[in-house]
Amino acid sequence: MGVVYGSVLDSAGTPVPLVTVRSGSTSALSDALGRYRLEVAAGVVRLAAARIGFRPWTAIVTVPAGDSVRLDIRLPAGTPLQMAPVITTAAKRSQLLDQAVTSVAIVTDSDIARRAVNTIDEAIDKAPGVQFLSGQINIRGSSGFVEGVGSRVLLLVDGVPMNQGDRGGINWDVVPVDQVTRVEIVKGAGSALYGSAALGGVVNLITRDLPLGIHGRVRATGGYYGNPPFDVWRFRDFTGGQGGLDVATSYGTATFRGALAAGARHSDGYRQQDRGDHWQLAGKGEWLPAPNLRLRLSGAWANDAYQVPLRWCVRGGCDTRGQSYQPFMVDQSDTGSHTTSGKGYLAGTVERTVSDRLSWQARASWFRTHFEDVFPTSSDFAVANLFGAELRAVAAPAPDQVVTVGGEGALATVTSDFFGGHTQGEYAAYGESERRRGALRLTVGARVDFLTVDGGGMTAVVSPRAGLVLPSGAGVWRLSAGHAFRAPSIAERFVSTVVDGLPVIPNPNLRPEQAWSFELGHARPIGPWLHADAALFWTEARRLIEPNVDASKGQIQFQNRQRARLAGVDLALRATPLGDRLVTTAAYTFLYARELATDTTPERALAFRPRHLLTLSADYSLGPAALGADVRYSSRMERVEIYELDPRVAAKVLDLRATYTRGPLAAHLLLTNALNYVYTLVPRTLEPVRTATLTLVYSY
Amino acid sequence: MRTSSRDARAAVLVLALFACNDGLQPEPACPNAICGRVTFQGTVPDSTDAVYIVAYQTFPRSRNDLFTFQPSLAALQALPLDSASAPYSVLLPTGRYEWVVAVWKKVGALTIANADSMLREAGYYRDPADTSQPGVVTVAAQGLDSINFVIDFAHMNPPCRYYNPPCP
Repeated sequence: MGVVYGSVLDSAGTPVPLVTVRSGSTSALSDALGRYRLEVAAGVVRLAAARIGFRPWTAIVTVPAGDSVRLDIRLPAGTPLQMAPVITTAAKRSQLLDQAVTSVAIVTDSDIARRAVNTIDEAIDKAPGVQFLSGQINIRGSSGFVEGVGSRVLLLVDGVPMNQGDRGGINWDVVPVDQVTRVEIVKGAGSALYGSAALGGVVNLITRDLPLGIHGRVRATGGYYGNPPFDVWRFRDFTGGQGGLDVATSYGTATFRGALAAGARHSDGYRQQDRGDHWQLAGKGEWLPAPNLRLRLSGAWANDAYQVPLRWCVRGGCDTRGQSYQPFMVDQSDTGSHTTSGKGYLAGTVERTVSDRLSWQARASWFRTHFEDVFPTSSDFAVANLFGAELRAVAAPAPDQVVTVGGEGALATVTSDFFGGHTQGEYAAYGESERRRGALRLTVGARVDFLTVDGGGMTAVVSPRAGLVLPSGAGVWRLSAGHAFRAPSIAERFVSTVVDGLPVIPNPNLRPEQAWSFELGHARPIGPWLHADAALFWTEARRLIEPNVDASKGQIQFQNRQRARLAGVDLALRATPLGDRLVTTAAYTFLYARELATDTTPERALAFRPRHLLTLSADYSLGPAALGADVRYSSRMERVEIYELDPRVAAKVLDLRATYTRGPLAAHLLLTNALNYVYTLVPRTLEPVRTATLTLVYSY
Repeated sequence: MRTSSRDARAAVLVLALFACNDGLQPEPACPNAICGRVTFQGTVPDSTDAVYIVAYQTFPRSRNDLFTFQPSLAALQALPLDSASAPYSVLLPTGRYEWVVAVWKKVGALTIANADSMLREAGYYRDPADTSQPGVVTVAAQGLDSINFVIDFAHMNPPCRYYNPPCP
């Protein structure tokens, strides 16, 4: 007998655990550091190594009798096994993607890396059915545009709610983009598990796992903004630039793991008065005292100081050079406007797997935001703290049943010179059960939320949801119906300010928005390299909160006004005609969004919802090089608010990219809006022009 | 080969869609708008909140007509008051307007009840043939000549002066 031992490494030299190393009928598994040891018969032996995600490896080695031979194995990367991804957001527990009752889109770390984006919203924007309007996310047209106030999409970071405590909006840069490994976008009503704000969907940013050993990443970006395509729109005599540097490192053992990340970036902006500086810190630590117990502490802080371009200028607001508007220039009355803001969180979780049939998780979190706006003649500020806690258990009381139950609480405290000083609480209990009957999976659940404002005025909201998943041939049908709501934000209830000379007055009597959503979806492979997913969706919403301009009183107030209907079709195709060398996707959303008639207003199109949204992408890789492109088409907004007579066009944006990887070094060249297409999605706000960016990433 | 041909056609279709770069274009001033230059006279009152230019399709003859102007309240643009004159542009629906007027607003919350004390007519576009009368303006998609007039802070009038009957 003899011994063969060594380490299993991937092509970058990183240890690979759980690799099966085999010789005849004898086999061994590599440990957490990639090490293996195999006793074999002396003589010439054939070794084979295999693990999902790598190409099979074989070698012939001579083992002297009674001796040992060291043999390090380099596993070449291979074609990943095609299987449904595991998701954790749709049911607040792990499940396969094709077992979810609602549509879920996934943005992988590969998607994020090859797009070389600076904030995560730039990558999410390409997901099927998702569109950002000046930073405000819309899932199937859910939010429209209300200057970032009152998002109808809930943001989670590793399952922790992160909508602002005062405005209810979302800070997409709260987590460094380099730390995000996957984004799960759950579409439709999510309040049955997540409560307020999950009216249009839930976005969960999942941060990187902490690997064993020492690892690090350095990411440097640099680039420039295209100049206006017409001389009459030129607004500066230099080319604007942008750049940044991010550094991350981690260390892990079988018991303790930790990671730190820091970064900063600067941008000259692509229009007048659009400069910004950003820095961030993030950290994460894990303690695994036992195989079935994990304690995690994570946090991040990001700081921004940026000029505020507000709206572009029209004649009378600046030197328009004989034009009716200057999209790259700012109204002179806004000159000098700027904002400083900070946002950060601290979250601790404990996860315990008691047995194969029971696990539980507890978490506590603190999310803080503050900002100060400085305008030429005024200023305002707000500080918000959002404290949250949750206890959740997942149990399998029977072999064909999984039950998720939990309780959750959140308390927001706000201090502001224009929102006042207020608190808002949300306390909830929820439960959901999935039962299998043959191939059919039936899910039923509900959540009850108790909402308080300033310690009183309790409102209860019940949000049930039911769904089923039925495999059929090679495909899967899914059907769901659910109730969702959004509690008014403190800003919507209590804002007191002046906008364009009109007083904005508080409305403490605002009630939660409510909606019922229905979805019928089907996913199936078509042939050997094409996968299709289609969904019909229908949402009936009422008491939507919108700013109401009262001409007779000369004032603005947030009010429960609209009844709305959002219906349509989502279609997503993924084709790999050349295996992994060529990956193409197409996503199309048809949206019929109507504001229903009231006693005082006729039925009309819901503002800020495009009827057609199309995203095409293709990535071709050959060895260490890869080329890719994204095409985004968004039809002209049928209706906008305030500046309804302003010119507006369909959005047609082409992004190009190239990547070259050599060992631990990767270079990404990105050209966004390559055609320098000039367009706007929200009033008098120019969308980004052509931007060239080179990103270098070094990993070890 | 048939697949390649189909792919090529799809690529050509996408390129054709994008080759036509019909994004926002430079737009000479004034289509769907009135624009021009206002000249200021007198001293800007200390109690000034803002001065706006608005247009009425029908001359307002009562308090109920007061807020029937265009553009909407939320789209109003305050004039810069720090120089002797200022260019302006106000986007409007196409059509005929009987009164293009500069409205001075006092600092404070405005309601329809206090409009007569909070608002003043500070000047309006006059009929070139009879300067005692307001000039009628027709806003068209193809543009409009400049509408220039004077804003006189020393001779401002409350809205009720134009009501029927007028206030004392």
